Amino acid sequence: MENTFKQAAAFLEKRLEERPRGYDLFAKEMSATILRAFDENTRTAYVSGYAFPTELLWALKVVPFDFEIACNNLPAATSGNGSSIMLHSENEGYSRDICSFDRLIIGCMLQGMLPKGDLYITSSYYCHGKAKANEIVAASEGKESVLFDVPNEISPSSMQYVTAQLKDIAARLEAITGERLDPERLREAIRWSNRARAILLEINTLMKHKPCPWDGARACLLALGGAIFWGSPILHEINQMLLQEMQDRINSGKLFPESHRILWIPWVPVQTTNIFTTLRENRASVVMAEVADVWWSEIDENNPFEGLALKALENLHVGRAEKRVKAIVKLAEEYDVDGVIHFATPACYHENGSLRIISDALKERNIPLLNLEGDMTDERNYSPEQTLNKLNTFLEIIGS
Amino acid sequence: MKRGSSDRKKKRVGYFCSYVPEELIIAAGLEPVRLRGEVAEVKEADAFLFSSICPSLKFILDSGLRSKFDVEGIVFAHSCDGMRRLYDLWSQYVGTPFTCMLEIPKNRDENGIRYFSEQLRDLKSRLEDFSAVTISSEKLGEAIARNNSHRQMFMEIFEKQRGVPAPLRGSDLLALCLEEATPREETTARVKGFIEKSKNSNTSRDRPRILITGNIGANTTLAQLAEDAGASVVAIDTCYGMKHYTGLVESDRDPFDGLARRYLLKPACARMPGFKTRIERLEELIKEYSIDGIIYGIIKFCDYGLFEAPEIRGSLGKPLLILENDYIWSDEGRIKTRVEAFVEMIESESS
Repeated sequence: MENTFKQAAAFLEKRLEERPRGYDLFAKEMSATILRAFDENTRTAYVSGYAFPTELLWALKVVPFDFEIACNNLPAATSGNGSSIMLHSENEGYSRDICSFDRLIIGCMLQGMLPKGDLYITSSYYCHGKAKANEIVAASEGKESVLFDVPNEISPSSMQYVTAQLKDIAARLEAITGERLDPERLREAIRWSNRARAILLEINTLMKHKPCPWDGARACLLALGGAIFWGSPILHEINQMLLQEMQDRINSGKLFPESHRILWIPWVPVQTTNIFTTLRENRASVVMAEVADVWWSEIDENNPFEGLALKALENLHVGRAEKRVKAIVKLAEEYDVDGVIHFATPACYHENGSLRIISDALKERNIPLLNLEGDMTDERNYSPEQTLNKLNTFLEIIGS
Repeated sequence: MKRGSSDRKKKRVGYFCSYVPEELIIAAGLEPVRLRGEVAEVKEADAFLFSSICPSLKFILDSGLRSKFDVEGIVFAHSCDGMRRLYDLWSQYVGTPFTCMLEIPKNRDENGIRYFSEQLRDLKSRLEDFSAVTISSEKLGEAIARNNSHRQMFMEIFEKQRGVPAPLRGSDLLALCLEEATPREETTARVKGFIEKSKNSNTSRDRPRILITGNIGANTTLAQLAEDAGASVVAIDTCYGMKHYTGLVESDRDPFDGLARRYLLKPACARMPGFKTRIERLEELIKEYSIDGIIYGIIKFCDYGLFEAPEIRGSLGKPLLILENDYIWSDEGRIKTRVEAFVEMIESESS
């Protein structure tokens, strides 16, 4: 893993020198951050970036390591050979019914590919399987795992419960780093987070432009993979670059022709598939991704722990399915989409379990929905032929 | 939804998960009912849930869609991601008059206990609104005492199973648990009758002593198959078995704090963090019940079980059989063969 990301970082560094691009900067920073997790002189916390307020880590100069993102960006996983790693976990008795992400992580662990963490944090949402995988990885290093448990309701008591956990995690991180959490540094991390959020709102507004000036699938990958950068100035820089690029494209009129506008929910597959080439060939743009939406409020820097707790509780995937339905319908209408594509990966129970409710809500509004069953990263569960058939039929329907 | 029959004195409120405190339902003048799938096959739920999801959810939803539950209300518990979505689907497509979701914290420290006690206060208010009954301290105290006594009776039976030979058939004991999960007027006599039966029982000696663990286990098929294969099922550590009865609510505490502690700190199911804690619990049971072999039943697609089983394998120092099932154990032939081979293996090892 270390060598892979070393090569990736060097390659992207060079490319950025030649042609600075926001998405490349994100990819380079992601590789560089993964590499830093291998550095024995840094303090590293395992964390689910998209389900944990990483502002706290940046304030304490702790390197966030998201095992799902790191493992799924390995060439084996992205090139459709993830099962070669998953087999190691399956041979140890971890069933193929377990999410491929988690089998991949445990496979990487068994192969000694993961960096050593100083603290192993994971979150109860996005999803219960990941929390178990974290526990297994932590135990393999003889470390305790910490569960950031976020209930599905926002109330004074849930705020208190989540806030207290964040304070406890901060204390654990202080013990690891040997440094007290500087309140001003936490405020600064929150300020960076709020600034990056403000630019993301602008980016998302520009995505409404016809034709769309960016790729919603990439927006999805950035939202998930880039989530470890909330609280760091780098995300602000990435978002600024992306915003500028989009504005330049609109101003110059150099935009891909667009026949169909698609909203993507919830995740895009990590492995290479024929989905996006098929969409491009048919001039179908993914104009927005559900997870790229800004669903959390600006964080109150004067009440940092409460503000970060609220951010966690407000997460799109915390709470009832109706919360997602409301957000999806709003996005479909605001972005004036012709259809919605839902990519279903097995074992994603909280997500797939909402599909019927989402489907009925879209049907009521005459918004076509395509459910693509595949797998985020296990090529054995992905059929290119079946996907192509379904996708072509869907595009014919929304084009008619 | 089938409504309660007119001769019933009390409204019935169902629940699925053993983390739901019946005491609050009882104190609200309602009758708690532990619900499980009531259909032989899934007919309607497939249209609402995708194929690779826990079959218990499908059987439960199907039962709801086909009006098989005789209840006016249901308290759901956030026991897993699937159950969370079952609640969403239920609210939208089944429409029981009263439903609510109880958050069960996964952190079992003081912070988690405090949050859970607040959840229970909130549940109290909702039940009061539904039943139009005020849950007084006295009523709650009585319900707590009644359930504590109920649990003590069951634990007395379970503890007798430590004897060699165990006095009761595990399948009979599980059947009693399934029927009498909740204390009702006639329950005490039935359970006491079971205690008496255990004193006079004459089960055969020298059978391999089996501990059944894992998740759900909402019927007696597995226990019966093990017994038919010549084993003695002496302990059942599932959420319908001992986990449901172990631990009492301390009466000298604030009742909500007491309830929160009892329910959160009772022997954990696999949803809770801590493989080590679960292994320690099983090690204790192996010792206390002189266990020769363990059968771990996992309901298909249950992440908690699928992650836990490989962690347990090799940790207990006793033969372990891991069996996936489809909630109704429909592939009985396959399971029978595996159970028979397992029992035979234990017998040959001990001879």
